[in-house]
Amino acid sequence: MTLDLAQLGAEHEALMQFLYLAPIGLVQADIHGEVAMMNPVAAQLLMPLSRNGGLDNLFVALEGVAPELRNLVAHHAEPSGKVCDGLHVYLSAGQDGKRVPQILALTLLKLDPGRMMAVIGDITEQVRRERRLRQNDAWLNAILAGVKDYALVSLDLHGRVSDWNPSIGRVTGFGPDIVGQPYTAFYPPDAMTLEHRHDRLREADANGWSLDEGRRCRADGSMYWGSALIAPLPDREPLPGESGGAAYCLILRDIGDQYGLAERRHDDAVRDHLTGLANRRALFEAAERELGRSSIAPRPTALLVIDADHFKAINDRHGHPGGDVVLRHLAGVLGESFREVDVIARIGGEEFAVLLPSTDLARALPVAERLRASVAAHPVMLAGQPVHYTVSTGIAIAHDGDGGIDRLLAQADRALYAAKRAGRNRVDHWRSELDAHAGRQQENADAA
Amino acid sequence: MTATAIAFDAPDLAAHLAQCTPEQLDTLDFGVIGFGADTQVTQYNAFESQAAGLSPQRVLGQPLFTNVAPCMNNFMVAQRFEDAHDERSVLDVTIDYVLTLRMRPVKVALRLLAAPDAATRYVLVQRQPR
Repeated sequence: MTLDLAQLGAEHEALMQFLYLAPIGLVQADIHGEVAMMNPVAAQLLMPLSRNGGLDNLFVALEGVAPELRNLVAHHAEPSGKVCDGLHVYLSAGQDGKRVPQILALTLLKLDPGRMMAVIGDITEQVRRERRLRQNDAWLNAILAGVKDYALVSLDLHGRVSDWNPSIGRVTGFGPDIVGQPYTAFYPPDAMTLEHRHDRLREADANGWSLDEGRRCRADGSMYWGSALIAPLPDREPLPGESGGAAYCLILRDIGDQYGLAERRHDDAVRDHLTGLANRRALFEAAERELGRSSIAPRPTALLVIDADHFKAINDRHGHPGGDVVLRHLAGVLGESFREVDVIARIGGEEFAVLLPSTDLARALPVAERLRASVAAHPVMLAGQPVHYTVSTGIAIAHDGDGGIDRLLAQADRALYAAKRAGRNRVDHWRSELDAHAGRQQENADAA
Repeated sequence: MTATAIAFDAPDLAAHLAQCTPEQLDTLDFGVIGFGADTQVTQYNAFESQAAGLSPQRVLGQPLFTNVAPCMNNFMVAQRFEDAHDERSVLDVTIDYVLTLRMRPVKVALRLLAAPDAATRYVLVQRQPR
């Protein structure tokens, strides 16, 4: 008997050590996220995210970076099975190369109607490697994929169309009067800033080519999905007496319908599940790109962080489904308030962010103020009743890309909490004095 | 000097712990994990062994942040020891933390102790009343 007990004890200890040493995070929780068991790697990965110093609830711990989890679980109808498989959770853009995890992979497994298991891994390095491969894929795809049609366009040194040919008419519907207009005429209105137009030319100069893929616009305003490749031409200096000959060639490809499937797949990775807006990953990627470019060609970039006021009270009063209606409503107002070139993302539970390329404080303030007024003026309908809510907004500006997205986000957050402290339903912007309050804000973060 | 008199929040604690025998460490009512510059565990007292469910034989001589307590291998704990070592500064901070003792998340206070001229560094663990 005692021998059996001793053997059992030794086996138990060995099992415990096995779980202590498992190189992946394991969490068992009930269906509401309350944690029952958790191994050390799970705590190592989640502890820096904990807002209240505890790890009692998985949803609460991940709320700031993966707000959709509660929904995913609530909408999983089957009694057991995978709720999500390898969901990428973006913690920070993290350009400083420290060994802090930046991207987690999360798999949620429903064990039975009341319990679930989470498997959490740090995949920062893996994603970095995959991204490099994907860039090659995109390049090959643009050349080889089922192109419906293509147009060959020559551009002058400033990116203006320098002559017209039938392929331009066939693909885009534009006539000879397109000559002299910037190539951004092929893009939807507001999709490119003046600086972006020059970025592409500079990239082509530096790398030999510049490629992007996205929505393109025909002369009649209709859209198609296309890729645009710009390459510098040799012998591009104009001859004496000649003004602005062809300096670049632009190849516009109509990728058309085959885009449908790829778009959906791409969307799952970069869209927020609840609102359809961009998620943290899409925001970070867009910001890294924009700030990287503005460090080469200096210009201001604005980041707005927008937070629904008293959202906890809305949730308490109307439940999570009511809260979700408010978040979707706010997402709709955001969608109507910004340019095509701006990136609108949901980055936390009730926290949204908008990246505005080529925008300084003087231009960002009235936009944010208009948004604030628009939200305050348009109630959301909950159970047949109009419910008024407001938002607070923090603005930060990066000049020539300095500090990267992490710093910009931290500054906008501080401005947001200043707006909250001043009474909510307000817009504030980052100033160096706000950094003195930074420590206190962290403590008050939950109260916001 | 009696070991039982040593409190978790006593000043100059590292010097007191360095003079304790393993038996004296075992009488303390908080967890003591002592480790060297190579992070290998050299002291592991009864309180901690009991709480974690691991016998000292499984822990002593193992690297702390990879094999014994990987949950502390982040910027909140392990990085602080590295930074203190790089800067040759004294480390004595107490932080709120969550340990996964026997796979249960448990709120604890951790006291991190290190000094440039001390051979042993310490992670001390006190359970917090819930």
